[in-house]
Amino acid sequence: MLIDLRNISKVYKAGDVEVPALTDLTMNIEQGEFVAIIGQSGSGKTTLLDILGCLSHPTSGEYWLDGENVNELPDSQLTTIRNEKIGFIFQTFHLLPRKTALENVQLPLMYARVPRATQHDRASQLLTMVGLKDRLHHYSNQLSGGQQQRVAIARALANHPALLLADEPTGNLDTKSGNDILTMFEQLHQQGQTILIITHDPLIAQRADRRITLSDGKIVSNEVTHLSSEIMV
Amino acid sequence: MLGVIIGVASVIAMIAIVEGGQVWLVSSIERLGTNLLFVWKKRLTVEERRMFAGRNIKLKYDDALATRQHFPELTVAPEVGFDGQLKVGDRDFSGYVTGTSPEFSEIRNFFPKVGRFLTTADLQEWRRSVVLGKTVAEVLFGTESPIGKEVKIFGGVKKGKKVDVTKGEKKEQQTVEEYRFVVIGVMEPKGEIHGRDWDEMIFIPATTLLRFFKGKNRIGHMVIYVPDRNRMDEFTQKLHQFLVQRHDGVDDIRIRNQGDFLGAVEQTLWTFRIVLGGIALVALLVGGIGIMNIMLVTVTERTREIGLRKAIGASRKDILLQFLIESTAISIIGGGVGIILGIFAAYGFGNLVAQSMPGGGDWGAVVEPTAILIAFTFAVGVGIVFGLFPAMKASKLDPAEALRYQ
Repeated sequence: MLIDLRNISKVYKAGDVEVPALTDLTMNIEQGEFVAIIGQSGSGKTTLLDILGCLSHPTSGEYWLDGENVNELPDSQLTTIRNEKIGFIFQTFHLLPRKTALENVQLPLMYARVPRATQHDRASQLLTMVGLKDRLHHYSNQLSGGQQQRVAIARALANHPALLLADEPTGNLDTKSGNDILTMFEQLHQQGQTILIITHDPLIAQRADRRITLSDGKIVSNEVTHLSSEIMV
Repeated sequence: MLGVIIGVASVIAMIAIVEGGQVWLVSSIERLGTNLLFVWKKRLTVEERRMFAGRNIKLKYDDALATRQHFPELTVAPEVGFDGQLKVGDRDFSGYVTGTSPEFSEIRNFFPKVGRFLTTADLQEWRRSVVLGKTVAEVLFGTESPIGKEVKIFGGVKKGKKVDVTKGEKKEQQTVEEYRFVVIGVMEPKGEIHGRDWDEMIFIPATTLLRFFKGKNRIGHMVIYVPDRNRMDEFTQKLHQFLVQRHDGVDDIRIRNQGDFLGAVEQTLWTFRIVLGGIALVALLVGGIGIMNIMLVTVTERTREIGLRKAIGASRKDILLQFLIESTAISIIGGGVGIILGIFAAYGFGNLVAQSMPGGGDWGAVVEPTAILIAFTFAVGVGIVFGLFPAMKASKLDPAEALRYQ
């Protein structure tokens, strides 16, 4: 089991008022699964993403990632986990504007203290894989939205993460580019990559193996859409 | 950044100017001869004068001769003078007439350009020989060669023609001397040093001056050259002892060496250093606050970038280092520009002083590598210290919040 959430709750404090974002949430995800978490805005999707991505701690409950209890780890180790085990893909791409595609992909490798030459090789190999072989030295603001998101995917895959965590990856893209990105996810999934995609769009969620629906911080449904992948696991 | 530039520039310019001043001071003092002791008579109080009445006090020409005899290893030149007037035909020149001995030329490092300086014979025979400063010769003789020409010298108070001198309401009768002198030499140009224009000096034998113009044996002071710099203090003591003994045990002798003069001016220079250094320090601090401001704005502007970097694995230390490097880079650039500006400012100011200050002719700024190093190190230090707070702020940002910062 790659991800094991046990009775996770998260409460935000706004002054004296306590706002519950997640309530007693339990779920798990196996190695190699392609899961979509779907829900309206305010359903707790973002909070769940933060917790899954080790960006914040839950108020209560346990989060086991790849056999480690993440709750008990100090910030410095969470940094290492984010760097090595999680690849983030954001709706707004989050590329560094004054850097080239290559430099953007090298960034997580740099923080992993990978030797410079290896950084370069690995980054260009990844960019070639996502079809940007001739865009290595373009600055990120010279690329189209679809291309930027592909750079972001390459960056997310840099350190061979156990989990690819995508937050509305097609939200800022036109239908065609969005479809390309989803096709790329499917390909990665076929190669065995665990992918968790967070979206409000049921059509996108349909392309995943499993759909988890969130509402008011609780899981309201958990349905398998593609039986084939169950067999794979 | 401007603050750092100004700070560094002012540190460098300040040190360069003060150092330049010191070099100028030392060299100008050395141009007047080195290893010199100056022997003056000390002013006595009324009681002391009454007490020591009849004793052999005050500095006299005999003291100089005796000193010369008693300390053969030293070179002694007496100096005595009066405000006189020189006349050649209808041209005249008013100036201070100095009576001295041949040794003066050598120990003050001041030589005749044409003709000769005073000789022992001039003194022994009370010759009426005169050596003119460059300016004096030009005023009295123009382009003509003055050597061998006659000059009338007026002044002093002894006997001779009676002239009325008005002093307040009372009319007193005073005597003014007038003698004919022969020009034997003209001095090399030397310019003004420490408020005294050496080109306006007029030299006659000390003996002649005392005999014709003073009527007394007293001299103003003695200049004594000590060949061995390390024995200056020793001779100061010995001379003092010797002269007090000659003065029947009355301690009316004051001996100073060049170092004492130097020390006084040096103290002033230190005051300058401290004041100017303080100003430069404030400028650097203001610059540092400027850097802090820039960095705080940068951190806010780049909150999302910081969030992203943290999300993909940048540790607190990575972020801290990144922003510290940036603030240090700003201060290094500022420091570099400041060094260049400071050097220009120093030389600019040096030239200004050279042109506007009489005798400041060679007060050049001296830009020392140490000054550059100090200023630069300080600037970089400011960059690090004032960059630390914004960098810490950046490193402590919560990644989840920073990522979604609008």
